[in-house]
Amino acid sequence: MSLLNRGHVFICAEPESPVQMQTNYSPYLSQRTLRVIVSLIGILACLLAIWMTAQAGFSRLLGKYATLEASLPAADRAIALAPSSSESHRVRAAVLYHLKQLPDAARELELAVSLRPRHDYLWLELAIIRDELGDSAGALAAFNESVRRAPHYAYPRWQRGNFLLRLGRFDQAFADLRYAAASNPDLIPSLIDLAWGISKRDTQVTVQLAHITTSKMRAAFAGFLARKGRAKEAREQFELADAVSELTRRELVRHLISANAFKEAFEVWKKKGNSEAAERRPAAIYDGGFEGPLTFDEFGFGWRVSRASQSVRLAADSSQFHSGSKSLLIEFLGDSSPDSSLVSQLILVEPSSRYRLNFAARTQDVVTGGLPLAIVSDAAGVFKRLGESAPLRQDTTNWQVSSFDFRTESGTNAVTLSIQRKNCSTSPCPIFGSIWMDSFSIEELK
Amino acid sequence: MRLRQRKAFKALAAFLVFTLAQVYTQFSFAQPNPANTVLSVQQQLIARLTQHRGRQGITVNGNNVGSGASIVTGAFIETSADQSATINLGPFGSVAIGPNTGLRLDYDDQGNAKVTLTQGCVIVRSRKKAVSEVVTNLGSAGKTEGENGGSYLDVCFLNGKAIVNQGAAMVAGAGAGAGTGAGTGGGISSATIILIGLGAAGVGVAVLAGGGGGGSGGGTNPSPSSP
Repeated sequence: MSLLNRGHVFICAEPESPVQMQTNYSPYLSQRTLRVIVSLIGILACLLAIWMTAQAGFSRLLGKYATLEASLPAADRAIALAPSSSESHRVRAAVLYHLKQLPDAARELELAVSLRPRHDYLWLELAIIRDELGDSAGALAAFNESVRRAPHYAYPRWQRGNFLLRLGRFDQAFADLRYAAASNPDLIPSLIDLAWGISKRDTQVTVQLAHITTSKMRAAFAGFLARKGRAKEAREQFELADAVSELTRRELVRHLISANAFKEAFEVWKKKGNSEAAERRPAAIYDGGFEGPLTFDEFGFGWRVSRASQSVRLAADSSQFHSGSKSLLIEFLGDSSPDSSLVSQLILVEPSSRYRLNFAARTQDVVTGGLPLAIVSDAAGVFKRLGESAPLRQDTTNWQVSSFDFRTESGTNAVTLSIQRKNCSTSPCPIFGSIWMDSFSIEELK
Repeated sequence: MRLRQRKAFKALAAFLVFTLAQVYTQFSFAQPNPANTVLSVQQQLIARLTQHRGRQGITVNGNNVGSGASIVTGAFIETSADQSATINLGPFGSVAIGPNTGLRLDYDDQGNAKVTLTQGCVIVRSRKKAVSEVVTNLGSAGKTEGENGGSYLDVCFLNGKAIVNQGAAMVAGAGAGAGTGAGTGGGISSATIILIGLGAAGVGVAVLAGGGGGGSGGGTNPSPSSP
């Protein structure tokens, strides 16, 4: 009966599972054993993971140490800890390279590449070392693989292009170099420089080698040519560019002025989007009435305002004017160097020609031993002074119109008109008071 | 009828010839401008730059360059304080450049080189029959002897004084690469091992936390993040 009873119990328990049948004999002990086994497996797995990651981490740390200290033993230990890590082999290769053991470095990189063959940078490093070893075929194969693994990256293409260039395969080389420069515009100056060198400084060949067809490329090439003193070609490239940033134009004008290519600089400067600038004739003064805004960042043929002295204030004044609706007000508050220009302008002129410069000025409460005056100097060479006005009178509440003549030298293409002070007989040479200047104009005398 | 057919055939043939000629002409117009300019570029010796220290700092004509850069004749090369480099002229020799050096390198296809040193140190090695000269603003500092099958010139131009073949350029780091002999000694010291081990504990924790791992597929990608 008892068996039957127990059997009845079993029959009721049967639908669950045979295991449960067993556990029902000693349910507490069996579950506990299972938990212990599972926990042990988990702990072992965690320990294994800790061990493996610690090894990997230690290997990396040793790798960093090896790289920093160029320590081959450290690199070897790093590999011993993580023999299947491409990074460990790469580190050892770097150390060997550092120690000038290039063949060993190449072999180590080959190992790294075999462990991680899809890595473009490993192929590239291998290619560079093989190139250095003179293994052109091996280097080309590695370069090709690097480009294949990262077809849109600039650096592998740039490196392969340089390599092909040295092999004399110019068409393939420049295809790669152009691709790289298109991908990374920072490489454009280097591309232009290489094309310029390879073409033996021929502008047209450079244009064709580097495919200088976009506005960005043309602007970069214009700047490059300006720095090389090829002003005419620089301006041509600038003219061909559709849209050029203000910064690029500014740089170009600066380079052209530095190269004394004033006419070309003027043509580039004229395109600043200002109608008065665009209409300005070469031998003329830009905004002679100070009607436009005065800025510190003028870089071309407008008024350049000096920041040199804290004790001189310059402003466009609409309360006083000789013509138009404004004039230039200069307030002197004490110390200022008589030699430094307060405001100046670059003016294009013809060589060996006579000019007359006119302006109007008024002064108020001026006290000084060195009065202001207008000076015209050659814009190039030794900046020879070509003419100057008489010093302004000390108290002229009414506007005084002044003029003076000057003659340009045979090599003069531009002059600088500047307002500065006459030197004092003693030093220091302070100045107090205010002056207004207006209606600057220049005329050629026949 | 037969005569009429012949005339028709002739007219058709003439028309076909005319049409083909037009097509050919059109193809000629439509062809992209071939890159025949490359053919106009003559073969020339192009030097290779190898950078020995760091990754930045060497400029060629004002542009930053690294190992593998091509150097054409007339290039102006500058190194910064922690940079040195070698310019390889292929079978004709090399120019090793020390830190803080500025020079102009001119060479011809026979490997004859002229180094105009504005400041710093160079070691010029000539092979075969190539002759190299180092010039400063004081004049010629020296010339290698091409006929002897290879020669060497060690020049430093510092503070307006030229020091020739006294090993000054070698001392300054020209051509020495970096750290020759460094780390070739008898392994890592115990203290270093302990220090690295202490660091490794931290790294191990960090690696665990980050879930990183070694192995062939692991590690950071040293490739630039952008093309």
